[in-house]
Order: sequence, then C-alpha cells, then structure tokens
Amino acid sequence: MTQPFLSIQGIRKSFGTVTAVKNVSMDIAEGEFMTFLGPSGSGKSTTLYILAGFQDPSGGDILLNKKSLLSTPSHKRNIGMVFQRYTLFPHLSVGENVAFPLRIRRRPQAEIADRVKAALKLVRLEGFEDRVPALMSGGQQQRVALARALVYNPPVLLMDEPLSALDKKLREEIQFEIRRIHQETGVTILYVTHDQEEALRLSDRIAVFSQGEIDQIGTGPELYSNPATRFVAGFIGDSNFLDATVLANNAGKAKLSLGDGAVVEGVPMHGTSAANGKASLMLRPERLSLSRVSVPSSIAVTVRDITFLGNNIEVSTATPAGVELAVRLPFGHEAISSLARGEQAWLAFDAASVHAFV
Amino acid sequence: MLLDFDKLGGLRTSLVALVVLVCLFLILPIVFIAALSFGSSQWLIFPPPSWTFKWYQDLFADPRWLYSALTSLKIAAIVTVLSVVIGFLAALGLDRGRFAGRDFLRALFLTPMILPVVVLAVALYALFLKLGLAGTTLAFIIAHLLIALPFSIISIGNALEGFDRSIEDAAILCGASPWQARLRVTVPAVSHGIFGAAIFSFLASWDEVVLAIFMASPTLQTLPVKIWSTLRQDLTPVIAAASTLLIAFTILLMIVAALFRKGRKA
Repeated sequence: MTQPFLSIQGIRKSFGTVTAVKNVSMDIAEGEFMTFLGPSGSGKSTTLYILAGFQDPSGGDILLNKKSLLSTPSHKRNIGMVFQRYTLFPHLSVGENVAFPLRIRRRPQAEIADRVKAALKLVRLEGFEDRVPALMSGGQQQRVALARALVYNPPVLLMDEPLSALDKKLREEIQFEIRRIHQETGVTILYVTHDQEEALRLSDRIAVFSQGEIDQIGTGPELYSNPATRFVAGFIGDSNFLDATVLANNAGKAKLSLGDGAVVEGVPMHGTSAANGKASLMLRPERLSLSRVSVPSSIAVTVRDITFLGNNIEVSTATPAGVELAVRLPFGHEAISSLARGEQAWLAFDAASVHAFV
Repeated sequence: MLLDFDKLGGLRTSLVALVVLVCLFLILPIVFIAALSFGSSQWLIFPPPSWTFKWYQDLFADPRWLYSALTSLKIAAIVTVLSVVIGFLAALGLDRGRFAGRDFLRALFLTPMILPVVVLAVALYALFLKLGLAGTTLAFIIAHLLIALPFSIISIGNALEGFDRSIEDAAILCGASPWQARLRVTVPAVSHGIFGAAIFSFLASWDEVVLAIFMASPTLQTLPVKIWSTLRQDLTPVIAAASTLLIAFTILLMIVAALFRKGRKA
C-alpha cells in the first residue's frame, strides 16, 4: 500500500488527566472493512468519534486521500455514520429520513426520489418510504439508518456498535446484510465492536484496541493463530493460560519449564525475557490433545468435568497447582469414551503452534 | 395494585363524593361568573331574575374594553415568541453545557416562579422608573417575559432531556451544520415541549394582573388591569362579561393544547 486511502497517524486524545487514546496509527485501503475491536474504555469509540469530527484529537493527524480531515468540521467531512442508538429523525418518515442528507445538499427532487428508492432497496426495505420510525423494529430502524448513511455515497462509513441493542438472532441476520452491502457498494467501512465473533464474521482486518493503544492489526486468522500480545490471545477465541519459567530464549523460540518437570522447546516467544524469567503460555482448547498415558513434554492434569457441546466435547481439567485448562475434542474422540471425573490425564501439544508471552 | 379503586368497598362512595366536591369547588365560581354575565340584574343578584345580552353589548360598545383586550393579546403574543425562543436557547444551554455554575443558573432561571409576584413587581417598577421605561409596552413585555420564561425552560428542557443527542449528531454527519441540525431535527423533535411552552407563556401573560397593575398606565392597560380598575370604581355585570370572555379564551387554549397532546400520542 503505497498510497493509503485513509491514514490515521499517531492519534492521541486526553480528557483532563485521563488519556483515552494513546498513539493510534493505521492505514486503511479503499473498500476495506476494518473493525476496531476491544473492551469498553479501550479507545476504539473515541478514535471513531475523532474520525467523525465530534472530538478533536490532542495530537496526530488523519489523512483521507492525502488530505488532512482535522480542519474540516463534521458536517463537511462527507462521512457516513451509523450509531449505537437509534438515531432516525422521529418527526420524519422513513423516506424523508433517507432523503435528509440529499435535501441538505440541495439535490434536485427527481434525483432525491431515485436515490432514496435505491438506498432503501439496498437495505431491503423497498416500499417502506411512508412508514414512521417509531413503529419499526430496532433492526429495521438500523437498516434505515444504514440507508441514510449511504445515500450520499460517502467515501467512508463509520459504524459504532450498530447492532449492540439487537438480540442475537437479529444481530446475525443484519451482520450478513452488512457484509452483502459492503460487497455491493465497495464502501470503506470502519466498524467498532466489543464482540469478537462479530469482528471475525465481518472484517477484512481487525485492529485490537487495549487501553488506548492498538495491540495488533491483522486478519482474523492472523490474530487467532499468531497473536502478538497476551491481551490479543485472550480476546480473540478461547484460550488457556499457564504460568511457565523461561529456561532459554533464542531468536524468539523459547525453552520453557511448565513445573512438574515438564519442559517444552521451540515455543514462539513474544517479548524479551531473561533466563529464569516468568512467562505465560497460551494454549487453545482445540489444539490440546488428551492422553490417558503419560507422554513426553505433556502436562499432568486431573479431569474435573466433561461437557457435551454438540459437535465437540469440552473437558475441564486442572493441573496439580490448580490452574484450570479446557480441552476441546471432537465428538466421539476415543480418549474420552471411558473418561470419568477425577481421573488422571495428560495434555500434549505441538510446541510450534502455541505462544508464550512475557 | 394495592389501592385498586374497585376493591375499596365503602370508601369508594366517599372518595367519589370528595372528588365531586373538589370539582365543584373549582368549577362553581366560573359558572357563577358566566351566569351573572348573562343575568339581567344590575346588582349581580343570584340566581338572575331573567337573562340578557345587555352586558356584552355594553362591553363591546365601550372601545376601552376592546382596546385593553387587544393590548393583552399583543403583549401576550410578543411574550410568547420571546419566551419560546429564549427558553429554547436557555434549555439547550442547560441541557448540553458542561460549565461551572450550571445548576445555579438553572435555579436562577426558575426564581420568578418562587418569588412573590408583588415583590418582583415593586422591584421591576423601581427599576423601570429609573430607566424611564415605566408605563411602556417594553416594560410590560419584560415583566411578563420574566414570569413566562420558567415555564418555557421547564417545558422545553424536559423535552430536550428525552431527546437523544446522537440524533442531532447523525443530522450533522448527514451534512447539516450544527444550527441547521438543531432547527431541522431537534426543534421538530421537541415540538411538543415548544408547544407547551408557548401555551403556558401566553397564559402567564394573558391573565396576569399583579405585574400588569404596576406596569400599566392610564393609556396602556391589559384586560385583567381593566377589569381590576373597573371593579374598583363600581360593580357592574360588564366585568362579569369581560371575565367570562377571558376565561372562555383561556379554556379554549387549554383545549387546543390537550388536543395537540392527544394528536401526538395517536
């Protein structure tokens, strides 16, 4: 990417003594679906509001097509936005809501009628022009809001947790719609959510926010298989963490002692650690294999519970030190056919496919 | 519900009786005045010996009554417009502003409601004398605006509180400048509050008498002042006729307000 479409450069934002956004930088390509993922208070929404122009950054710059956005007031940025709450204008019909941005831009009447119709068709609400927002469901209202945000062909569409007020089933339905609309329009989307499943389902790339900073930017599979920090590892997908002692660390490959004499070699190590330093080892539940007999470099555990989850089975185990480790095995796996609570088992894993963090 | 009306038994009768009594207490004086205004007795005898429109004819024959009614209408109309505009801006500031002394300011805006009107009247009269404004329409308007504003600020402020600011933000991102967004989105969205503010501001000025007595001059009198000064000279059923019309107009406004509120809910 030599000429990024949208470039966020070192954005900072402080509220008094509190720093909400520390140093956020990223380049976004035209037509990309980028998601800001993080817990509440991680700075993802603040970053989005700075893009919208509702807040001024304390430092840094935002370039759209090489031009700084910061000196442009919100209403002249020509950006589309869908909010967390329902923001349809209550006194206007659905058609007039969608027409509003075009009326403000003083477009001719015929063009407004055509574009409102096309925008409502895009969100599959054809013929809803005369409805009143108050009488529509939450999902319909957010789809109208989406039509209103897209009707003037903004180069960038911001979405601030637009589905958080909807129930799970409806949320998944509209996620699918958003994906389709993204593909049909090719609009660049910046999407804020705290729901990792939603982020994985929708995004081309995900920026994981933590405490006002971006921990990692990457595609879903990249973040899942190669998390850069312990926070990312814990936030994307399910994971177990086990305390370990670093015996040696060579070029990012560590030799770790897991206690009880278990030693693993060649574990990808993130961050620098002195010999005998502490580290935590991340183990994905589905990457662990369970064995009834002791195998080399494995962790001895006691089975605490076995839960049937449909297509797989989760075995809760605990190390002698009391650390809980979950293992997920496909349904019908031989190792669990006769497994019972309280029994001894050993967990083994491929050292190259796990990660250790300082 | 614990106090379900249907389960009150014997208490129910006495409760209904109490309600009827309270209603009669509120309505009877009005009925009295209206009845007397159509009564033929010069001395306001009740029940009226016979019925007549004479007092209404007298009322409309005297241009001073009509003139004072028009004065009332003019002042109330100007006060209504100013009260709604200033009230909207003040309520917006109190709702959106994050500044020191905001709560103090909110309380300050409402003091005309708590302050005895006569105290306010004396203070304003002294001030207007000093400024050479005594007896002018401007003085009238300022005085009535003071007591009308709290109604506007409360009514519009409540409406704004129930209005999600994100809606205004959405309008801004749609391309509307902040003031365009407020005028085209926020104002219509809080129109019920603005309507309530207008009705109450109008009424606050329309039937106000204490401030009006202080602000009036022989040539500038509102309808309540005219009633008051006529009453002090002699007791004539023309006053009852004027009062009846005043009340009728007020009731009409309340009905309009109620219909508007009902229309909004439907």
